[in-house]
Amino acid sequence: MEYEKDGYSTHISQQFNEDLEQIRTELLTMGGMVERQVQDSIEALLNGDSDLAERSLRGDKQTNDMELMIDEHCTRIIARRQPAASDLRMIMAISRAVVDLERIGDEATRISRQAIELVKGGESPRGYQEIRHIGSLVRIMVRDVLTAFARSDINLAYQVAKQDKAVDQEYRSAMRSLATYMMEDPRSISSVLNVIWVLRSLERIGDHVCNLAEHLVYQVSGTDVRHQSLQEMRRTVNDESGDLDESDDT
Amino acid sequence: MSSNMKSHAIDISSLKRDPRALNMDDEEITLKVNDLRLRYGDKEALHGINMLIPKNRVTAFIGPSGCGKSTLLRCFNRMNDLVDGCQIDGEILLDDSNVYGRGVDVAELRRRVGMVFQKPNPFPKSIYENVAYGLRIQGLKKKRLIDDTVEWALRSAALWDEVKDRLHESALGMSGGQQQRLVIARTIAVKPEVLLLDEPASALDPISTLKIEELIHALKKDFTIVIVTHNMQQAARVSDYTAFMYMGDLIEFGVTDTLFTNPVQKQTEDYITGRYG
Repeated sequence: MEYEKDGYSTHISQQFNEDLEQIRTELLTMGGMVERQVQDSIEALLNGDSDLAERSLRGDKQTNDMELMIDEHCTRIIARRQPAASDLRMIMAISRAVVDLERIGDEATRISRQAIELVKGGESPRGYQEIRHIGSLVRIMVRDVLTAFARSDINLAYQVAKQDKAVDQEYRSAMRSLATYMMEDPRSISSVLNVIWVLRSLERIGDHVCNLAEHLVYQVSGTDVRHQSLQEMRRTVNDESGDLDESDDT
Repeated sequence: MSSNMKSHAIDISSLKRDPRALNMDDEEITLKVNDLRLRYGDKEALHGINMLIPKNRVTAFIGPSGCGKSTLLRCFNRMNDLVDGCQIDGEILLDDSNVYGRGVDVAELRRRVGMVFQKPNPFPKSIYENVAYGLRIQGLKKKRLIDDTVEWALRSAALWDEVKDRLHESALGMSGGQQQRLVIARTIAVKPEVLLLDEPASALDPISTLKIEELIHALKKDFTIVIVTHNMQQAARVSDYTAFMYMGDLIEFGVTDTLFTNPVQKQTEDYITGRYG
């Protein structure tokens, strides 16, 4: 689906166009920052790179600042422009999206802290394979949901939400195998727990990405798909764009 | 992971500097109102107003009917002189000289401080003659110069493309929104410094209203604009600074963003949230 800039840049008020354009740019910039944080934290953990982990921690401050700034701009646009219909949905979606982005940043921060801990401990515990695998799924989800926002592509948003189910499944299976491992070797419990915290953070990032996808569907279609099944979201996306492949079943 | 991932962090400093963040301390001031009191006969309508109108900004006056906002606006080019029994104390400084001072040429003042009213009032002449009128009164004779100025004024008023093929038709055949933009073109043709707009869009449909608002936004780079409006949302949309008046007092005056999101005074809050009654 081609991104139609004209969807919001044809107001009689040029200033309003600029306001909306700016706030979208800010959201995507914040998304880029959070994506970087997630990448850095996972990479820092897997490579035992505490410098990179420190840098990811510093990124969180910027993300928090961005959240405050975008929120303020949303408030200002609502107060000054009284946006309606698609403009209003866009502002609402952005104002919700920054909350989820900020939380993703917080989870990345947790992962970075664990990375620093693990480097200090000097161990190479079991579970890195799971982190590598789930981490790579989650990173792709973050990237895709931002692309979906940039293009207002709700088909892609749906694919991202679907991907979250795969992450949840991987997470459960990793938990089972790590629990078995801890039972077999109780001395490993503390280091395996660190890995479990990381997996938990990755799973939470997946959930927030899924929320972002839902916000975008609301923005584009006007249907609030939060707390609905994947099938219902699929129906909404299909009704709006009709582009989903029939064979692409859930 | 590749090493370029580790390179520079994204720089958000450029985004944080909001070029639209305004502060009265940074503004150049066009009009200064010092303890302005105005009486109609026995009744005092303005009780000592003090305010600064910044240059190249849009300043909006809002407030309920009878709060004195139009009265204050009319003081800026001495339109109240025409009202019987109107008495004014205090001063209004336009570029540091009192508009109520002795020996002020009121006609020249009104050229420098132009005014547009609620109801479009084009002269029963052609579109071209409406805009050229002020220039001719000023004694301008060169046709070429008048032609150029008329075109400039009509372009500035976002009207040129709509009327360039019928400049010599009567202005009375235009729509209300076009007439209002024509009146704005007529006002700016004489190159005033300040543009006073008294409810300029309240007689127009929503689309024409938005066009006028967009025009106001475009004109502020050349003129200092003061607008009186009943429509709070309009003030929020077009203005940089907003003054809330009530019963002849200036209750709150500040940056529009702040006034509409976090006003200081309870009265302002009540008015803009529709609790005033």
